[in-house]
Amino acid sequence: MSADEPAETFESVDWDETGSRFSTLSRRDRGAIASLALVAAAFGYDYHLLSADRPTLTWPIRWNVTQLDWLFIVTLLALLFYVAVPLYSNRRLTAHYWAEFRKNSLAVVSLVYLAAVFLVGVVGPIFLSKPQLALAQSHQPPVYTAVNAAVPVNCLGDVASGMCHGTWAHPLGTTSDGKDVLVLVVYGMQVSMKVGLISTLLVVTIGTTVGTVAAYAGGLVDEVLMRYVDVQLVFPAFFLYLLLNYLFGGSLFMFIVIFGLTGWGSMARLVRSEALQRSEEAYITAADSAGAGTLYVIRRHLVPNVSNSVITAATLLIPGFILFEAALSFLSLGDPTVPSWGQVIAAGRSDLGTAWWVSTLPGLFLFTTILAFNFVGDALRDALDPRQET
Amino acid sequence: MSMRWYVVRRVLWAVVATYLILSVTWGLLALTPNPAAEQLQFRAAASGGSAEAAREAFEARRGLDRPLWDRYSDYMVNMVTLNWGWSDSRSQPVMEAIAGAIPYTAVYSVPTTILSVLLGLSIGLYSATHQYTRTDYAATFFAFFGYAIPNFWFAIVLLLVFSVQLGWFPVVFDPDVPLVGFAMAHQLVLPVVVLVTGTIAGVMRYSRAEALEYVQAEFVKTAKAKGAGEFRILTRHVLRPAAVPLMTILIGDILGIFLAASYLVEVVFGIPGLGQLSYNAILAQDTALVLGTTLIFTFVAVIGNLIQDIAYTILDPRIDYGDR
Amino acid sequence: MADEPLLSVRNLETKFHTDEGVVRAVDGVSFDVRRGETVCLVGESGSGKTVTGESLTRLVRSPPGEVAGGEIYFDGRDVLDMSDAELRDLRGGRVGHIFQNPQGALNPVYPVGWQIVEAIRLHEEVPKAEARARAVDLLNRVGIPEATRRFDDYPHEFSGGMKQRVAIAMALATNPALLVADEPTTALDVTIQNQILRLLEELQEEFDMSVLLITHDLGVVAEVADRVVVVYAGKVMERGDVFDVFENPSHPYTRALLRCLPGRGGRLDGIDGRLPSATDPPPGCRFHPRCDHAVDACRTGGQPPLYALSDDHDVSCVHYGPDGDPEVVRGDESAGSAVGPGDGGHVGDDAHVGDGGHDPDGESGDGGNEP
Repeated sequence: MSADEPAETFESVDWDETGSRFSTLSRRDRGAIASLALVAAAFGYDYHLLSADRPTLTWPIRWNVTQLDWLFIVTLLALLFYVAVPLYSNRRLTAHYWAEFRKNSLAVVSLVYLAAVFLVGVVGPIFLSKPQLALAQSHQPPVYTAVNAAVPVNCLGDVASGMCHGTWAHPLGTTSDGKDVLVLVVYGMQVSMKVGLISTLLVVTIGTTVGTVAAYAGGLVDEVLMRYVDVQLVFPAFFLYLLLNYLFGGSLFMFIVIFGLTGWGSMARLVRSEALQRSEEAYITAADSAGAGTLYVIRRHLVPNVSNSVITAATLLIPGFILFEAALSFLSLGDPTVPSWGQVIAAGRSDLGTAWWVSTLPGLFLFTTILAFNFVGDALRDALDPRQET
Repeated sequence: MSMRWYVVRRVLWAVVATYLILSVTWGLLALTPNPAAEQLQFRAAASGGSAEAAREAFEARRGLDRPLWDRYSDYMVNMVTLNWGWSDSRSQPVMEAIAGAIPYTAVYSVPTTILSVLLGLSIGLYSATHQYTRTDYAATFFAFFGYAIPNFWFAIVLLLVFSVQLGWFPVVFDPDVPLVGFAMAHQLVLPVVVLVTGTIAGVMRYSRAEALEYVQAEFVKTAKAKGAGEFRILTRHVLRPAAVPLMTILIGDILGIFLAASYLVEVVFGIPGLGQLSYNAILAQDTALVLGTTLIFTFVAVIGNLIQDIAYTILDPRIDYGDR
Repeated sequence: MADEPLLSVRNLETKFHTDEGVVRAVDGVSFDVRRGETVCLVGESGSGKTVTGESLTRLVRSPPGEVAGGEIYFDGRDVLDMSDAELRDLRGGRVGHIFQNPQGALNPVYPVGWQIVEAIRLHEEVPKAEARARAVDLLNRVGIPEATRRFDDYPHEFSGGMKQRVAIAMALATNPALLVADEPTTALDVTIQNQILRLLEELQEEFDMSVLLITHDLGVVAEVADRVVVVYAGKVMERGDVFDVFENPSHPYTRALLRCLPGRGGRLDGIDGRLPSATDPPPGCRFHPRCDHAVDACRTGGQPPLYALSDDHDVSCVHYGPDGDPEVVRGDESAGSAVGPGDGGHVGDDAHVGDGGHDPDGESGDGGNEP
């Protein structure tokens, strides 16, 4: 507080006002809401004024923004305002967490890898055109490898002693219908990131809200909410997705909504139990007896104090969603229009004996991405939540 | 409150949960257009008939034109009496199809469960008592590997290497060999390896974490001071108290992983168990069978939860029956 | 044979390998326990007394702990040379242990009776029914009302004092020759403390055992000890007959401890300063940084040798050595010797020493002394 500001002592704070709805919002919240409103306006413009097949943007690139893209933009904004901004404004705390996190070198490598996957996944598809059917160039081997020249229809690279060699034109080879595996992998990155991040954002939002409300309201509200969570959790997630997916069809958008709307049970439980522990603590009681409003207490005291466990749990949720999506796509129960890793793995399955790279390479990316999220999540737990041991 | 009353309450809760699940499923079915009906309509329209008439005929045949409440009570009665409908794609009652598939699921599930619990527990306990040794790190890394590897992909890679390239195991599952015998065991090696790799990781990590809480406990020191040997301390004084939280995790988490994994593994290896039955039903848009198989998996989970709760009361003398 | 002490500890060294370095929790401790007597090991939290007790039957967790040197003769046999099987026979068979915290000492998932039966059957091949009968007898003996009925109760159904009684019954199950009692009353209410101490005294008589009582409470020492060993930062400062030590406290540390006892006219606020770093102890006498009488000779070399004051009274202080003058220490009359051990009957619960609040769990197995 600067010196020329009127001194605001504890007694002079009007707690009724502080407890009001508006003042629960910090500057960061207002920034988030403002940008959300902008996105909503842009979405309204795109949805109502532009016909569906007209691209939203023609400059600098042609980009027809889909429903999912809009959701993804919202997710990125949430990440910006609720992860990046706090990390930047609490530099000392960030430095402390980073020092803890850095102790785990495997996690640092994983973080770098994930950042690369994220960036390439977000930016790549804008510059790479969607993989096209090109039967003439089917089954090209990856660069530096060779297969029997009989495998590809015609070999783009050198043919030496009956072996077809890969070329840089298709560094990871091509599928049976001639799509470039590298391009598919890049598109798959975007699909995975969308699935993982958007679903997790939905889960975190719903789970945290339900959890804190249940913990703070208690009584009947708590009972009803938690019994509902019990029922929801009894359904094994995979089969719930399977059933809903069968019934409501398999667009990626549906997929993510189903994940998000049904996957928050354990998050709500976690937040509730954490919040219950916290609400016993002195500062909540103090805020309560000082007359702060319910919403104010939840928003300003409970939520920030459970955020470490939430972030850790969320990091470990992301790979689960990515894996579910890949599995469902692999079963060809996913979105047939989206080149997801699971789909490519399934596509290459029948040609394993001849074109090994089609299934294995995207699988390798899927595996390493999930592994990296697990490493990062584990290190985050150590850094943010030292009470828990694994 | 007595333990018996507590168990009764948990059983009642399982019944209520089952009822809710059935109702929700019914509601979902009632809300969504039946894919088979859509197909009929499409066919009717394509062959110049009336799509509307085709739909009405279909609904009349299925009794879908009756009031909602009648349909709901019929559905519930059928569910309870295990009359789960007719599978169009297999031309047999759903129950019969399920009964025929269960042995093929059991034949690999049983060894997988035994192996992953035994191996997972022993490696986890070893890791806990030899914390920060090279073996511990290796076990931890293996656990991460098992967690992260997509089992359907792992299955494909194993098939490629060991069946296609090396020819050690059959590529195609043969359902005609006797259920218990060498040939069956031989063709189940790869599926079991895939499933154990996936589930063992969880068992290992959790048993390590739980055991770590106890290897340094005062009462373990007491047991040592009494003259108990290493093995007795580990099994009686560490594992037994750790079993209480482990129970929750083993059934809650691992069962979920296992059910999903077995589904995928059956599809990849072509094992004609419940998973493949369900998968084929989805592809054939055989709603009755999709529903039946999904519900079977769900009931397994409900019963698992129930067993977990009851086991908890038996294992932990400290439980407060008034809670929940 | 009869003259030979039951337990003889010579230059015991126990180390812990930690991230911060090697902690020498016990660094050359020597003392004897004779048959049928009670020896008290006294020191403040972190002084290494618990680790000493646990080293006797090699209970120290290894790694990170390690009994690195010295000799422990129990009944004429070196414990450090024993095989694992022999050690298991010794633990619980001939040497019983009671730990500080009765809440944690019993396994929560077994009935208390089961745990006593286990202690019996680990060492003697007796039928279950007989072991059960003996366990009920023991529970009766340690003062558990309705022992038969409570045999199948779980630890959480007992109070702290009752749990400690069960723990004592368990330690006595095989009629050991030596009972190592590590702060058996610290975690209990003052009223319960006295009951437990009385019980231990009676049982010692009845079972004809030696007791090594580890405590920070000089009031307890005054009540039960035959002989005292004062340890500080892993070293013995003074040891001897309880009357000699109380009437004629010689080491400045012992004198400071005694000053902290109520009714001694001294400061009740403890001793200034804190225990030295366990990974990097000061040279010379370990106590010199807190000692009012420290001279240059105290600050160099190793811990001074134990100089004999009488037959059964030694002190590790340069002022009692060939070049020292005991009057430097003894002239400080604030530690009077007016109160002898015999009438130390009423001792408040704040008789412990230390510079801050005492933390009963502070002396954990790692022997660390972080504040």
